[in-house]
Amino acid sequence: MRSAAVIPVAALLLAAPLLATPARAGEIVCRPDYDYSVEVDGYYPHGACFYKGDVHGKWFIDIPENKSGLMLDLTAKKIFAVPRDRVSTVANGSLTVKDDLPPGGTAYAFAIEGPTIQFQADGKQVRILPCLQRPPIDGPTTIAALEDDRPEYREGIRAYKPDPASMDILSKYGKPVEIEAFFATWCPHCKVYMPKLLRAIKDANNSKIKLNLVGCPKGFGSQAGPWQGKNVTSVPTIIVRVDGREITRMGAHEGAVPEEELAGILKAVH
Amino acid sequence: MSDLARPIEQAGLTDEGRSRLLIGHLARLVLGLVFLLAGVAKAVDPAEFAHEIEGYGLVGPGLSAIAAPLLIAVEMTLGVALLLAFAVPAMAILSSAMILGFLGLKTYSLAAGRTDPCGCFGAYLQTSPGWGIVIDLGFLLAALLAFWGSRRRQGGSGRPALLALAGAGLASLGLALASPYLPLDSLVTRLTPGRTLRDLGIEGKVPGDGARLVALLDLTDPKSGETAALLDAFTSTPGAPTVLALTPSSEEEKSAFTWSANPTFEIQHVDRPILKPLYRRLPRFFLVISGKVAAVYDGAPPAASDLISSEAP
Repeated sequence: MRSAAVIPVAALLLAAPLLATPARAGEIVCRPDYDYSVEVDGYYPHGACFYKGDVHGKWFIDIPENKSGLMLDLTAKKIFAVPRDRVSTVANGSLTVKDDLPPGGTAYAFAIEGPTIQFQADGKQVRILPCLQRPPIDGPTTIAALEDDRPEYREGIRAYKPDPASMDILSKYGKPVEIEAFFATWCPHCKVYMPKLLRAIKDANNSKIKLNLVGCPKGFGSQAGPWQGKNVTSVPTIIVRVDGREITRMGAHEGAVPEEELAGILKAVH
Repeated sequence: MSDLARPIEQAGLTDEGRSRLLIGHLARLVLGLVFLLAGVAKAVDPAEFAHEIEGYGLVGPGLSAIAAPLLIAVEMTLGVALLLAFAVPAMAILSSAMILGFLGLKTYSLAAGRTDPCGCFGAYLQTSPGWGIVIDLGFLLAALLAFWGSRRRQGGSGRPALLALAGAGLASLGLALASPYLPLDSLVTRLTPGRTLRDLGIEGKVPGDGARLVALLDLTDPKSGETAALLDAFTSTPGAPTVLALTPSSEEEKSAFTWSANPTFEIQHVDRPILKPLYRRLPRFFLVISGKVAAVYDGAPPAASDLISSEAP
């Protein structure tokens, strides 16, 4: 019994080097962590990205306009400048960084303020902050603008695989549907739910389904905006109208599959 | 004969009068039982009830912490009074006032867009504010029926009854104050050995394969850094199960903790309503083997050496 179980394990161990190519000694594999945003002098440069290293306490910060990459070492409590020739791109947006830096390289001190890390590098003020803390998108927007501005949404949309049966219903639906989606870039549930919904609407590619995407600021209930008079008290609130008549409202909940819910609603109104 | 044991006179009643009395009795017993059970459900985790009160936004954490055990004691005492048929008309009016108060709170909460469970039956029997309103309307009806079906001098009202009631009140308050220190976790939370990840509602949050030590952490707890150090030591032991922390703390609190404690283990945020049925106090730890809870540890993680399989290489 036991030897039978040992054989597949041993085979897996032998095959492991073929299945994955682990980083060499002194090399760190860094994967994008879209839960964080990189702010430079108050702006969010396109392509700037925060990466989590596969070594404990090490994170990499890539600011394209900087001449060096930056390795945040929480254990050493320093940020080290990493020359670009020591950084290479691998699959899925990940990087490998040669971490065996020669002594005497440039290093920066950093400060931790709650969820934010801040420091000065290349004469610029840099902050690493949770993406939910970025100034919110306020008012009407589009999927394309959202993908361009918010990496966490872009990657969420890219990674999501909608249910094919539901997509079949959404792509062939014949009545005019208006989806008014109130969401907030500061809302953690929206960050999980909205990319799924947006991917489904995008992939449905149905001219009958029209999307109005509205970003809500914090405390939107007491501010003027497109949400007024529509009884929108929480985000995300997805108002579904068929033939101009409000049919239902959808919202985030644990394990939500928005395309299935939407397809079910539209099927019922067919 | 004591007031409590005195039979209720039914002589001289018409059929309609008897039916009214019977309905009144039934409504009183149902309402009494509901109050008593709801009180006990809250008393096993008074901190959670205080959290629910605070969630309504009318009082701060300090007042909520004081109000919670008092409200629990009032609810349980009212339940006992109704079950013992003590001053039924007065208790029915008091019950109606209390239920109307709860109804007002829930309506206000629903109007403000709050969708969290109402906390009416503690953390372990959860109902949405909408359902809470429907249930409260049912209880209000029961209170009105208890009043309608009661006779003016119904039930005991003498000294023994008062003493029994005072005893029930003190016992209820005592339970609410002492329960956090009583070993009730395995009785009142869902987290017990043998449960699957699906039973716990965290399937997909914790990988079902292999062995894992899952830590339930409050990252805002000043002692969470010490717990992280213990878990770091655990993970550094060769052959020890992987550690995964689940927390109801926010993404921002998770980030702050990550930068300050630099933990070696992964931390995942899980919505509080999902995680709360698994604990009364944090931290709590449990060992998962092949998707099932194998052991539960309160207060501190186990020693890694205790969990290393003798068959491990």
